[in-house]
Amino acid sequence: MASGDQSKGGTASQYLSTDQDAALDMTTSEKVVELLNQASLISTEEKLVILKQVQELIINKDPSLLDNFLDEIIAFQTDKSIEVRKFVIGFIEEACKRDNELLHRLIANLNMLMRDESVNVVKKAILTLTHLYKVALQCLVRTKSVSDMQEACWDMVTQMKDDVLALLDSDNDGVRTHAIKFTESLIITLSPRTPDSDTPKKHEGDISLDKIPKDHTYIRYDTLSEEGKFALEQLLKFMVHPAISSINLTTALGSLATLARQRPMFMSKVAQAYETLHANLPPTLAKSQVSSVRKNLKLHLVSVLKHPSSVDFHGQISTLLLDLGMSQNEITRCTPATAQPRKRLQHEPFVEGKRIKMETALAEDDEDKEEPAPVITPKPSSSVGTQSSIDLTAEYLLPLLSPENVANLVLISMVYLPEVMPASFQATYTPVESAGTEAQIKHLARLMATQMTSAGLGPGLELCKARDEEVKEEEGQSEISSKDPLIIRKYSAVSLGQAISVLGGTYKSPVTEETPQIKKLPEPILPTTQPKAPGASGRKKVFKLADVVQPFSEVQVEKLINMSVNRILHSEKAIALSGMSHIRMKLLARLVTQFEGGMKDDLMQFILDDMRSRSELAFSLLYHEYNEYLSQQPSGSLDSYEQCLFSLLSGLQEKPEQRDGLFTKLVLEAPVITDSALEVIQRYCEDESRVYLGISTLKELILKRPSRQFQYLNVLLNLSSHEKEKVRSTALGFIKRMYEKEHLKDCVEKFALTYMQFLVHPNPPSLLFGAGEDTEVAASWTEETVRQCLYLYLSLLPLNHRLVHELAAVYTEAIADIKRSVLRVIEQPIRGMGMSSPDLLLLVENCPKGAETLVTRCLHILTDKVPPSPELVERVRDLYHKRVPDVRFLIPVINGLEKNEVIQALPKLIKLNPIVVKEVFNRLLGTQHSEGSSSMSPLSPAELLIALHNIDSSKCDMKSIIKATNLCFGEKNVYTTEVLAVVMQQLMEQTPLPILLMRTVIQSLTMYPRLAGFVMNILARLILKQVWKYPKVWEGFVKCCQRTKPQSYNVLLQLPPSQLASVFERCPEMREPLLQHVHSFTPHQQAHIPSSIMAVLEANIRKQEPEPEPQHPEIMEERQHVSVPVPQEEPPAPAPVAFTEPEPEPEPIPSRREVDEPMEQEETAHAVLEVTPEPASQMEVAEEATQSSSVTEKTEEPMEESSAMSADVADLPQVVSEDADTDPGTSNVD
Amino acid sequence: MPVDPLRVAVVCSSNQNRSMEAHNILSKRGFDVRSFGTGTHVKLPGPAPDKPNIYDFKTTYEQMYNDLVRKDKDLYTQNGILHMLERNKRIKMRPERFQSCKDQFDLVVTCEERVYDQVLEDLNSREQETFQPVHVINVDIQDNHEEATLGAFLICELCQCIQHTDDMENEIDELLQEFEEKSHRPFLHTVCFY
Repeated sequence: MASGDQSKGGTASQYLSTDQDAALDMTTSEKVVELLNQASLISTEEKLVILKQVQELIINKDPSLLDNFLDEIIAFQTDKSIEVRKFVIGFIEEACKRDNELLHRLIANLNMLMRDESVNVVKKAILTLTHLYKVALQCLVRTKSVSDMQEACWDMVTQMKDDVLALLDSDNDGVRTHAIKFTESLIITLSPRTPDSDTPKKHEGDISLDKIPKDHTYIRYDTLSEEGKFALEQLLKFMVHPAISSINLTTALGSLATLARQRPMFMSKVAQAYETLHANLPPTLAKSQVSSVRKNLKLHLVSVLKHPSSVDFHGQISTLLLDLGMSQNEITRCTPATAQPRKRLQHEPFVEGKRIKMETALAEDDEDKEEPAPVITPKPSSSVGTQSSIDLTAEYLLPLLSPENVANLVLISMVYLPEVMPASFQATYTPVESAGTEAQIKHLARLMATQMTSAGLGPGLELCKARDEEVKEEEGQSEISSKDPLIIRKYSAVSLGQAISVLGGTYKSPVTEETPQIKKLPEPILPTTQPKAPGASGRKKVFKLADVVQPFSEVQVEKLINMSVNRILHSEKAIALSGMSHIRMKLLARLVTQFEGGMKDDLMQFILDDMRSRSELAFSLLYHEYNEYLSQQPSGSLDSYEQCLFSLLSGLQEKPEQRDGLFTKLVLEAPVITDSALEVIQRYCEDESRVYLGISTLKELILKRPSRQFQYLNVLLNLSSHEKEKVRSTALGFIKRMYEKEHLKDCVEKFALTYMQFLVHPNPPSLLFGAGEDTEVAASWTEETVRQCLYLYLSLLPLNHRLVHELAAVYTEAIADIKRSVLRVIEQPIRGMGMSSPDLLLLVENCPKGAETLVTRCLHILTDKVPPSPELVERVRDLYHKRVPDVRFLIPVINGLEKNEVIQALPKLIKLNPIVVKEVFNRLLGTQHSEGSSSMSPLSPAELLIALHNIDSSKCDMKSIIKATNLCFGEKNVYTTEVLAVVMQQLMEQTPLPILLMRTVIQSLTMYPRLAGFVMNILARLILKQVWKYPKVWEGFVKCCQRTKPQSYNVLLQLPPSQLASVFERCPEMREPLLQHVHSFTPHQQAHIPSSIMAVLEANIRKQEPEPEPQHPEIMEERQHVSVPVPQEEPPAPAPVAFTEPEPEPEPIPSRREVDEPMEQEETAHAVLEVTPEPASQMEVAEEATQSSSVTEKTEEPMEESSAMSADVADLPQVVSEDADTDPGTSNVD
Repeated sequence: MPVDPLRVAVVCSSNQNRSMEAHNILSKRGFDVRSFGTGTHVKLPGPAPDKPNIYDFKTTYEQMYNDLVRKDKDLYTQNGILHMLERNKRIKMRPERFQSCKDQFDLVVTCEERVYDQVLEDLNSREQETFQPVHVINVDIQDNHEEATLGAFLICELCQCIQHTDDMENEIDELLQEFEEKSHRPFLHTVCFY
């Protein structure tokens, strides 16, 4: 605790001196007493100040007082405050430095404080021990005759030293840090200072190993040296710990640098440690910690590099520095100029000294060591001696690093690359610049050697280990010899000087042994239990077998048996070569079946390890087991056999790849298939990757083992409702084949029907959930469970059409959910049966009550792609006419019906749900599917539309008819201009005229404006037919004229006057343009117009005479311009417009700016006009005519009104409706 | 540890801006703090980037202040140098050089990597005596007023956290990791010994 505390002390003394002025007369002693008295009473902070004063007084001012007040101060070591306890430690250090003798008294206190509960106190204690250890050693060296007290003190110090070394493993980071520093200092103290040691000036006088006399009475030079080395080992070991903290690592790096500089003999170890560390930065470090550590490493490497003794390691160090990102220039700058390769003289003497001693020790050793160790001991301290294991391994690797090898290494190691780049790698990675050069290869070899050595591999390591062991052995011998005082004493006279010192040390040891601490002392002094004693005694006994041989215990016997069997087991190849494998197999099988115990498992494992080549052994074993069972027949149990078969089968199942038929073979050749074996087979079948193998094996079993055929078949059948698709379909495939076998047919069919019968239960039976019993669980039916019950049945159906009636029977009883599911799943099988199936026809014919939806569904499925066959049509017709007059039956076969039948059914059909109607039309118009049915329709599109017009309105409401016609108009591809022309033509020729005639005309016109000419023709001919007699048609007629002006003017002029007047009544705005039209005629043409017509035309003008005429043309122009009829011009029509505003009546002031306003009015009036007078249906005609022009596909929207009976079962083809059962539709059908 | 307060040193290059800002804040928060520079000279911005004002470490802040006022009062008022010097002279007489200070600290905070390197080099070149550990942490701060203020607060927070640990040496590693995450900057950290 040098400068820091001294400076503090300095301030304290200044502070004190002022105090002292105040109390001049007081002696120092009195002062101290007073201070101490104060100190025990006051707060920590003040206490510290006062205690520091005391320390100053008794250590620096008047050391004679130190002894007196020691106890008082030390008493504070139990103080509550950590700081006070730390002060005590500081005091101990200062006191001991002042008076070394005090150490004997205080060391125990320090020891106590080192076990303090506060880490801060412990750390302080470690720091202090760092200094006091040297003090203690120094003190011991100085005194020639060592007192008991001194010995005890040293023992304790030694023990504390060991404790601190153990603290390298402490949980506390800070404690570890301090322990590292202690270790560093310890190593320096316990190793000799050499001329090239770079010792700091302040430590010039410090004790070190070289100052310890080799003939010291108590401490032993070589023990201390060993302790120092041990400490170094500890430190190095600590450093390579993979989870070392960054601070500890930093500290250790610094310590190593200090060691290398102050004790160059360790240079090689340090360099190696640095190298290892650099290549293996702990993975636990964070990124920034890695950079901190690397920075430190660089710093310390440079400091080591600057040391002259590092010259031998410059290569390694520069490589490391290059890797750490230093430039070559910088490195050169840091290298001392006098870098002349010097001899490693400095540490050779150290080694040599030891060697000599060892040799002497060895020389004393007696000859009972059989190895020729003594002969080889004086090794020339050649390069081998100093080369580290890394060097050796690197040398070994160097020639091996051919490009090819390196490439292979890289490829192999690719596999082991981690997914994320570790922080340490990222930091250490530098691109390889000089790849392939000798230097780089050397570097690589070193890197690899470093890794290998740290992993405990490589020839270098082995060599070094061998070397170390040799040395240790030698040392061990020397220790043993020195431990035996008698021998040493005996030879002491002839030993060399060093040996005498050893003797001296051991001579003392009996004394020290008595002190309790002795146990903690380093081993050499400990009287260890004689490891050599029995051998060395060499006494010979008379040989008696009984003495040596004892009966084996049961365990041993068993072990031996097992071992023998194992030997037979594993001598497979050897025996195979000799051609006696069959005997081996027999032997094994017999042995194993006869003995209980683990052998069976071993054998089984052995077989399973390579089942393919050991299958014979497996069979042999199996038959032996069965034989065993047979031989004990009456009471024998199959357990063992079953166990064997089971293990084999399940073992096979666990093997990933099993292509050959070993499994099948095993199953088929096994004498008996037990229940558990069957379970394994079943597991096999349930394994998707093995299912085919499993099921075909099962099939073989069924066919080839008739005795239990049905049991196996049952397993197979159960698989038919398996949840895994692949298992199920494979099973179904095999079952179908079984079904062809006459004797199995019944069983399969029964099973299928039983399963289907489940559907009539309110809940699915637990059987379906894998449970064995037939108890019903409360679960409800799901799509899945329904299907499960049907899979087998449905796959049998195409094979045996008869079964379809069973389905119908079940169907009628099942609940709605099930019905729906059934309808969904039958498509495939029904289609498979085809419409010629007599059973299906029979089903249609009979159509059981409640199965109507099923039958309908079947019909739909059958006719979906193919036109219905006459037989089918016949049955349906029959059904419809005689039993269930539901028109929906007819839909699937509609194209098979006669024309008149269709027409008859039309009114009913178009009242159905709009989706269904659409479907019907699709079928009739052939727009349903691309292929097939188109040619078959009994009605041409034109006929259909005509038929719609001719539906008796008493049979069907007008709305449905209109919607149906709209559907037709929706199919623009079908209803072309030609078709529509034909339709109109034919309709027009009918008498009476169909109500919807004009609607269709208008709609056609909207769709195809180029039909206008044709329409004019129609209109003209309608006049001949006195169209006005049909009010609705007349209404449409007028509307049509209105739309088709001006073409319609000529038609209008053909009307009789009264009818023309009626037109104007409806559309007053027509009059003026028509009049204009007539005015534009040539006089000759005008002459053709009857006056009665003209009268009607001009009726209004005469009324309006008083109005100023000249305005008209302008307004007229305006009106014509916007091509809107002008209501103001006429007097309001009497009836229809009666409720409109009276505004039109007062003649508008004919001014320009008012033009807009009346226009608006006129529009509203127009709208009113359209709406008011018409009866509901007519109004719709108009409305829809306009709408359909813009939206042709308007069929669905307004349908709901007409859906009184729409939402029922009839929508089956598209969506199988939600309530096939509960729906009123079904009851209708009845 | 109220009895043994953390002895903190804040070190930047010239002991003017970053270290002084932190010194200011830390001493206001009651820390036992000192500040240093590691440069060979004290450099302050001059009229052009290549013409800095250079002083030695013996020059007081007062003298620098007067010198700059004399040279170009407007310029140095405007770039905030005078204001900074005024603050500095309220804190202590003159800048101090880290390498010349033999006092011991528990924690040395440096403001840029170069300074960190210099501090480490200096500490490692000293002869070890007491083995008292000192933690050196680098917090990179750009040398301008705003960053200095932000950095000073970061340093202050760091010091407060360290001060509040029961066992600084055991917890500092983790603490720094947390700080790194929080502040999104890496800290260099090492330990040296007196």
